[in-house]
Amino acid sequence: MTTGAERGRGGRAEGSHREWPGYEMGARLASLRVVVCCGSGGVGKTTVSAALAMSIAASQDARVLVLTVDPAKRLATALGVTMSGAEPVTLSRARLRRAGLPARGRVVAATLDMKSAWDQMIERVAPDRRTAERILKNPFYQRISDAFVGSHEYAAMEMLYELHEAGEYDCIVIDTPPSRNALDFLEAPSRLTDYVGAKLLSWLAGPSGFGLRAMNLAATPFLRMADRLLGGEVLRDVSDFVRQLQSLYGGVQKRARDVYRLLRSPEVGFVVVTTLEPGPFNEAEYFAAKLREYSMPLRAIVVNRVLPESLRDPAGAAAATTLADDPRIVEWINTEVGGTFSADTVRSVGRTHLMMHALAQRDARQLTRLERLADVPISRIPLFTDDVSELEGLVRIAGLL
Amino acid sequence: MAGKGGTGKSTVTAAVALLAAQAGKRVLAVDVDAKGDLARALGSKGVGFMPQVVQPGISAMALQAEESFQEYLNIYFKVPRVARLTPLARVFDFIATGVPGPRDMLVVGKIAYEERRRDRTGRPAWDFIVVDSAASGHVVSHLAAARAMLSLVRSGVIRSQVQWIDELVRDDRRCTVALCALPEEMPVTEAIELHGRLRDEAGVSVAACVLNRMVTTTVSPAQRRLAQLLCSDAHIEAVRRRLGGDPEPLPDSLELTRRLHERGMEFSRQLRAGLPVPVVPVPLDTASRSGLAMARAVAAALDVEAA
Repeated sequence: MTTGAERGRGGRAEGSHREWPGYEMGARLASLRVVVCCGSGGVGKTTVSAALAMSIAASQDARVLVLTVDPAKRLATALGVTMSGAEPVTLSRARLRRAGLPARGRVVAATLDMKSAWDQMIERVAPDRRTAERILKNPFYQRISDAFVGSHEYAAMEMLYELHEAGEYDCIVIDTPPSRNALDFLEAPSRLTDYVGAKLLSWLAGPSGFGLRAMNLAATPFLRMADRLLGGEVLRDVSDFVRQLQSLYGGVQKRARDVYRLLRSPEVGFVVVTTLEPGPFNEAEYFAAKLREYSMPLRAIVVNRVLPESLRDPAGAAAATTLADDPRIVEWINTEVGGTFSADTVRSVGRTHLMMHALAQRDARQLTRLERLADVPISRIPLFTDDVSELEGLVRIAGLL
Repeated sequence: MAGKGGTGKSTVTAAVALLAAQAGKRVLAVDVDAKGDLARALGSKGVGFMPQVVQPGISAMALQAEESFQEYLNIYFKVPRVARLTPLARVFDFIATGVPGPRDMLVVGKIAYEERRRDRTGRPAWDFIVVDSAASGHVVSHLAAARAMLSLVRSGVIRSQVQWIDELVRDDRRCTVALCALPEEMPVTEAIELHGRLRDEAGVSVAACVLNRMVTTTVSPAQRRLAQLLCSDAHIEAVRRRLGGDPEPLPDSLELTRRLHERGMEFSRQLRAGLPVPVVPVPLDTASRSGLAMARAVAAALDVEAA
């Protein structure tokens, strides 16, 4: 019975093809193997990533993975995913069609487990099992894999590379972790190489003393301070860690290079997600410039929470201004239009609209700036007053992309 | 000021600085993230590590771990400042990121140092310091750094240094946190979580929560009726002539406002239920401006709320 109903609905979806939006963004990105969504925190990046995956699944028969990081509870519910690191959830063609998406492909949703991504990388690049275990047990490693700037971003890129190499999916959409500086993740591979490769670190690792002379001046008080602040035990952990890390150097460097190469390959495209608020907007601008600098192709910009265009209409604002400012307008309305509206009601209608108009004007100014920023399609998603809490909501956004 | 990224933390920080300066205080505004948003909100292109005057009564600075570290070495270990200490800083960075404490300690230590600093006449250098802190999780480690360090260091000059910083952070007459949130799911959840962590892990008091971008006034049924009526076929031509414009966008505009207000109130209730501190709304219309103008509008709104 259920299958029959599903088939029926699926058929209806295909039959009424013209009613569906074009899923243009999905079609445009469908040739890519990897889509990286970037943007500052709080702009709805995870939602957009999921919607992009749906849009791609609507435009071709593909297995699309959306790799999310720390989704909001309602969004996680919408996707049917649970905690991080749990098993990926497959949204079948039938399920997507029930939610209103004319799906040709499937979407798999997974949340990224940062910690295990790091551990897996160590296991991969370590020369032998014993070294891997010693590193994994080192308290310094345990802190650094969690704490250092870019570590989450690196783990995400690692995971992406692995999944890409495994080839299980036709396309992977990745929602990068919220980072204080969006650039962190671009620099993550080279930063790690710097750390592991830094010759300077050798003085921490061994008795060779190379380089110590050159920085004697600062290093001595530094070591003294470090020793006093941290105690001998911590320094021993650090030293131990660095020594083991050196044995990984070749492996890590190769990985970092591979990840970098992947990110710059024509199979990969970047999508910047932003709102028109000044903070996220400035970061998006900065980000687009950086992508250019790194020769990483920006494919599209998605602007989230845009106010309806009708609010920008100057004639609307003119009418509202009269309502807000003309003291004789109440009388005119009550006699000519009819009613017993209070002066306060009339004024408030004008003022409320003027506030929304001013916000919409701000949107318009920011959008003009955005258009000058890059010669790529800009997709606008209107402000919704509800959080996405069902698959249908994501499908609706996919249609708008 | 602490809260999720994108909640308008920098603007609210700038607004608080403007209010304090208006009250005659000599203010230091500190940007911990150093993305430049705070400087912009105070009408400056950008600031560096050295405090510089950005508005009457307000100096601003951006915290940088490396320079903070150099200054520390200079003050306490008499290491001369070098233009570029980059290799050393890199090594430091490597260790500092892997060990709880030092880097966070430098952030909070520098701010505490500024709180303690006196000018030539012995007067405190600043009356009021307002900090645009790092994203949610980081602010807890910053504020808890001194406490964590005390458990590591048993004696010596550093212990006494850390001790007074810890005392400052936990003294609710000298140091407090204001949270910043938006009427949306994640920022509200994060503000409530952050409040708990600040209390439990850092022992820091939280004074208030600013709820930014709120539609503060409701749209009454009479207002919606009026908007509909103005657009009705029977009247629209006369209305267009009399108002000198078009009433057609008004119903949608009011409906959107009504829904934003309803949603805002729902999140405001959630926030009030989850936080034992006052929740201070800042109206959405402040968001139509940018930079210093927006900070001034937010300051005016906060002033009204405080009154």
